[in-house]
This record gives sequence, structure tokens and C-alpha cells, in this order.
Amino acid sequence: MENTDPALLPSIIFTTAAQLVDCVDKKLLVVLRDGRKLIGILRSFDQYANLVLQDTVERIIVQSMYSDIQRGVYIVRGENVVLVGEIEPEKEESIPLKEVSLDEIYAARQDEIDHRRQRELTKNSKLMDIGFSIDTQQDDMY
Amino acid sequence: MLPLTLLNTSQGHPMLVELKSGETLNGHLVNCDAWMNLTLKEVVQTNADGTRFFRLPECYVRGNNIKYLRVPDEVLDIAREKNQQQREEQRKSNQPQRGGYNRQYTSGGQRGGYNRNRGGGNVGRGGGHIQRGGRGGQY
Repeated sequence: MENTDPALLPSIIFTTAAQLVDCVDKKLLVVLRDGRKLIGILRSFDQYANLVLQDTVERIIVQSMYSDIQRGVYIVRGENVVLVGEIEPEKEESIPLKEVSLDEIYAARQDEIDHRRQRELTKNSKLMDIGFSIDTQQDDMY
Repeated sequence: MLPLTLLNTSQGHPMLVELKSGETLNGHLVNCDAWMNLTLKEVVQTNADGTRFFRLPECYVRGNNIKYLRVPDEVLDIAREKNQQQREEQRKSNQPQRGGYNRQYTSGGQRGGYNRNRGGGNVGRGGGHIQRGGRGGQY
């Protein structure tokens, strides 16, 4: 029974929610299951990884371009979060992407979506010709 | 301050709820609970494409359908002030008890509430070793 003694187990095993403590009051990138990227300051969290973000910006990224939308305070339901990453202030100065206007990014994004759909259609029809059955469905957009 | 606590303090304030389907609901939060179920009033519902709008005087959202909520910036400040006020009040009411120890912990045994009153039966009755909480009882 000694190896299940809680005092001897490394505390890493119990810290799923506790690890976000290090991220509080830090600027984070949060990626949601629908593919959205939110950048904001984490103010609090709970055992479900529900998050409170302040001064949040939604950043739309298409290829090497990006555009930001100011959004304010978010309460994000934990199950929709894919990942969370700390943003280092120094690295924020040298982003390898070009900032463009919202209209431009929306147009670029729509283009990207149309191209992707076209590619899927041709790919699926070729696969069906060979005899594959297409039963995949894109569940999450990230 | 926990996310659900922030949600509770934003009762009465306008907010935007985005559902997993991509639909958005804009309205005033009437009430909410621990599962994030919400009741909103004076709601404008927008479909995922942003092409259709509906007005609903009242609406109920089951928490599991929510992707995220956006609240006004002021709500966060108001919640913080309340938090501070509560802490100060707790500090004031805790001070006279400092001499006697652990008086606030007597209710701790009931917090988990595992088997407190479940299964009627033999929990807590007869049998010298079973404590009132009946924790050992019914697994």
C-alpha cells in the first residue's frame, strides 16, 4: 500500500486545474474548438477550466496575415478550450505576420474556406472512385 | 474570484452569449446557476451566419450549450469591489473568534455530503462506530 500513500505521490498528478494558477494575470493565447484565437489576460479559472479573460482581443489569422478585434471580458466555458499558452511580451513585438484590415482578413478567410472546401470535394470524389467510403466529419475547427 | 461567481454578479447586466452552434443571444441576465444554465430577458437571437435576427422577451439557455459569454468591462470591476467588501466583512466577523479555535470548522464534516442522509436505513443508527456523517456507510 506504500506506493499509493498520498504523501508520497508526486503532487504533479493532482494539479490539472492548479497549473493555471501560474497563468493568472498573464497575457494568454486561448484557442477554442471552433478555431478562434483569443488573446487576453487570465483573471480566474475553476476546476472545469472555465476562464475569465480581460481586455481580450480576437485575432483572426489567415496564412501570414492577421487582424485584431477588441472584445472585452470573456467567460469561456472550459470544454470549448483546446489550449492555452502564455504570450511573452518581448515576442509580441516581432510577430512574423502582417497586420491587415478587418475587411481584408474576412475576404482572405472566405477565400481560404472556399479553397479548402473545393479541395475536400475533389479529394473525396477521387477517393470514392478508388473505393473508399467517406465518413469523416470535421468536428472541431482547430 | 471564480468564473461562475463573476457570472452571478453580472445578473441584471447585458451580455452576449455565444452557443456552441454559433448562434448568439444578446440580452440581460436574469438568473444563472452552478451548471451555467441562464435565463435572459429582452433577447436578440442571431443565427450563426449573422443573417437572421429574432427578438425574444425571455429565454432559457441550458449551460452545456454555451461556448462563451461576453460581459461588459464594468461587471468585472463591480465583482472585484464586492469581493473586497465581502473579505473585509469576513475579517471583521472572524476577529472575535480568534481566541477559540476552529469554531468555523464544525460544519466541515457536512460539506462533502457523501452519504449524509442517503439510503435511510442503518446510517447513523445503532452500531457504535458509525458517525453521524455516516461516511463509512453506504458505498
